Amino acid sequence: MTVQEEAQRPVPQAPSGELRSGAPYWAASLRSMLRFDYGRMRAWAPMMMGLQTMTGAGMAVMYGFLYPNITETRALYITTGAATLALIPLGFVMLPSAVAQQKTEGTFDYVWSLPSPRSAQAVSTFVLYTFLALPGAVLALLVSKWRYGVNLSPSLLLVPAVLLCAMVAITVGYGLALAIPNPMVTNVVTNALMFVVLLFSPIVFPASQLPDWLFAVHRVLPFYNMAVVIRAGLTVGLESDVTTSFLVLIAWTAAGCATTGWVVGHRR
Amino acid sequence: MTAATSSEAPTTGVIGRRDGVERGARRWRRDYASMLRWHLASLRIWMATLMSVQVLSGVGFVLGISLFFDHIPQAVALFVATGVPVINLLMVGLILGPQLVADQKVTGSYDYLRSMPVSRSVTAAAWYTVCLIGGVPAMVVSLAVAQLRYDLALHVSLMIVPAVLLSCFTATMLGYALGHGVGNPMATRLITQMLIFVVFGYTPIIFPITQMPGWLGALNWWFPFRHMAVVVRAALTPGPHPGVASAYVILAVWAAARSALAGRALGRRP
Repeated sequence: MTVQEEAQRPVPQAPSGELRSGAPYWAASLRSMLRFDYGRMRAWAPMMMGLQTMTGAGMAVMYGFLYPNITETRALYITTGAATLALIPLGFVMLPSAVAQQKTEGTFDYVWSLPSPRSAQAVSTFVLYTFLALPGAVLALLVSKWRYGVNLSPSLLLVPAVLLCAMVAITVGYGLALAIPNPMVTNVVTNALMFVVLLFSPIVFPASQLPDWLFAVHRVLPFYNMAVVIRAGLTVGLESDVTTSFLVLIAWTAAGCATTGWVVGHRR
Repeated sequence: MTAATSSEAPTTGVIGRRDGVERGARRWRRDYASMLRWHLASLRIWMATLMSVQVLSGVGFVLGISLFFDHIPQAVALFVATGVPVINLLMVGLILGPQLVADQKVTGSYDYLRSMPVSRSVTAAAWYTVCLIGGVPAMVVSLAVAQLRYDLALHVSLMIVPAVLLSCFTATMLGYALGHGVGNPMATRLITQMLIFVVFGYTPIIFPITQMPGWLGALNWWFPFRHMAVVVRAALTPGPHPGVASAYVILAVWAAARSALAGRALGRRP
């Protein structure tokens, strides 16, 4: 091959004149990543939604069995906790285990090697999982409303509350999955988290039933605050201190994003 | 070979000796001892993890349930305290057993174990013993913690021995049939995940049957889980216990049916 021929050959990866940075490139990358991730997830989505409905609606029905008699307040707490219970496993269990599986299979490294900004890859995951989370949460709410027959009064606050809760669960879960290199450790951590959430978190019962020290811990953790903001969006007068909970949740989302950013910003 | 191991060999180690075929109870006992040692040695880390998880989850549940109430009624505490031991027993045989078999199928040790010259009953008996070793300590700790925390009126009778043995056996055989009968490891894992959820939440083990809808209670009569709770609870609490005899019968029928199924699954050539 002569020098001239060599020069005339099109450069395969980055054509000259096309800038591989800036907002348009990022948006195009996000679009491609969304298509890519959606294509991979399509087969799993029904199973995830099934599992989510099971944990959300199923747990809400099950908690009712534990009580000898279900008062109206108890029913209200269980019903409004159901949506939170559906969101937590998706972000804190399914997303980390999906990442763990990708790491084992090698898909994770492949995605990182793609010529798209890693921030676009992360945002694509966040967006897809948020959309995946919403139907399960609504279904859980409807099933438990039907089971306990309580009257809810949803307000506009519910929209930011549910979105923020989905974001907290997903960003923190993703940050966790990225920050822990060993998939086995991720598995143990997420299972332990679920145990704490299902038994020791004031999601389906009032926080006043906790010992003081445990309540103090939960005011800083995301789970109780998720339940508070969703409950505030569904009822009137049951929750008072919503602003603090929103702030705590925003702080956790920021922390999750920061961890994600820190991990994806580093070369291995 | 050192002197120590060669002196040990005739009693335990070697499975098939050169001097002809040995049958009968002696051979069975020796095979059983070898298989049990094999399991305990190969699972030592797994067993340690399992026992700590079992104790933590049992104690966690016993303590955590009080958070669901302002003041936990004594009856609720008693039900939970006598139900959690059953969950402890179920966990090893029914849930973790099949998952372990699934893991062994993936790693290839499953085929290796099946190639051993021991009978199916030896394999099953050794595994049953492992399940008892994994379940009973956690059961005792859960009960002790419940007693300390709630000051319950427990009355442990001798019937606890057959109740625990039969419940654990039925659970182990259920898990055994599942683990060996279902070919795909991924499917086994999914089924056990579903099972743990259903057993924990939708069978009257940790709460009275009157607290669930009538049809669900009636459906539970056909499954063994409710009856395990009945026999174990009867052995742990004072007073008359209606329906214990029928619970034993149903458990025995389940145990026999599942053992037959497990035996078939084990005996089938791949």
